Amino acid sequence: MKGFKVITAMKDSISEKDIIVSSNGNISREVYHHLPQPQVYLRGSMGLPVAVGLGLALANPNNRVIVVTGDGNFLMGMGSTVTTSFYKPKNLKILILDNKSYFTTGGQQTVSPALNYSKFIDALNCEYNNSKEASEDQIKEDLSRFLNSNTFAILHLVIEASKENLENIPWHPEKISKEFTGKISKSS
Amino acid sequence: MIDSAAFVSYLEKNFQFISGVPCTYFKKMLIYLAEHETELQLQHVIATREDEAMGIASGVAFSGKQAVVYMQNSGLGNVGDALTSLAQLYKLPMVLLISYRGLESDRAFPEHDIMGEVNEAVLKAFNIPYWILSEKNWETEMNLAVKEMKNSSSPVALLVKDGVLSE
Ligand SMILES: Cc1ncc(C[n+]2csc(CCOP(=O)(O)OP(=O)(O)O)c2C)c(N)n1
Repeated sequence: MKGFKVITAMKDSISEKDIIVSSNGNISREVYHHLPQPQVYLRGSMGLPVAVGLGLALANPNNRVIVVTGDGNFLMGMGSTVTTSFYKPKNLKILILDNKSYFTTGGQQTVSPALNYSKFIDALNCEYNNSKEASEDQIKEDLSRFLNSNTFAILHLVIEASKENLENIPWHPEKISKEFTGKISKSS
Repeated sequence: MIDSAAFVSYLEKNFQFISGVPCTYFKKMLIYLAEHETELQLQHVIATREDEAMGIASGVAFSGKQAVVYMQNSGLGNVGDALTSLAQLYKLPMVLLISYRGLESDRAFPEHDIMGEVNEAVLKAFNIPYWILSEKNWETEMNLAVKEMKNSSSPVALLVKDGVLSE
């Protein structure tokens, strides 16, 4: 299953109060184009989406925070997943979209295949975790169980390396901040 | 040495979160923080890396709240991209409390020599306004830093020399 299809499948489960943090490159573009706006679209800071999500989750305990990260970003900031697992904010959900590549920069392979995600996230002792290949007929159910879990949750999905031709995010980061801060001050 | 209770109380009034990786220069302050964690209105988040701590502080700043990030100046070498492509780019206010290692009292620690020499030049190169925290005028220096952080909605730094926040 393609990554943007997973992102599109999230649409029905996302409410206005939810906060999404997306990792740089392709994934931020897909989240910008397919899910309700505004969200925290990271355009740089590779390796930091989980850390940013943790800060958001702790600062907004009444909002659900969903981190959507590529495997390259996840691996670069792996320590931050251990940190989040130390604090386990109930409102934080980490979705890893694993195409086993740095897709945005031309599809170079990552070291992702060396990691047994299932064992790794299980070892973090979060109450909800799952690692599987994304499939069209189960995606809605998988996402719903993950997003509606009442605990800190990690979902690792193996996806097909692919992209749509989406235009770049037209918002400058300062605009992203402004739009997002406006939304948060209304909903928290 | 600045009184830990007074310093933490200042932080509590101006910030909601504190995150970072320790340096011996912060030892006393961090002991105070750990001992008073439950009664403080300042949430401490332990981090594995300094850029991660800045990521956490960025999530806090996106929410209209503020965090202090503490780090050894070695950690300054870890945060370049977190500064330029996140905190500075997205205009996220935060205070970086950076220990100033590699000066005279650190001659037995050559691992700090080179960063000690370039520390201020690095901050200047990144266009980060900074103050050197002094025992005498620390409140004024903190006020100036917090004011600049708010005015510019960006990271600012305070350099902490040996003996200022720990014996
Ligand atoms: C610190 C840093 N190194 C390298 C890059 C270049 N870069 C941008 S996106 C990307 C790939 C990210 O990979 P992943 O998180 O797996 O997402 P995908 O592109 O596969 O969707 C890289 C290497 C960068 N932006 N920042």
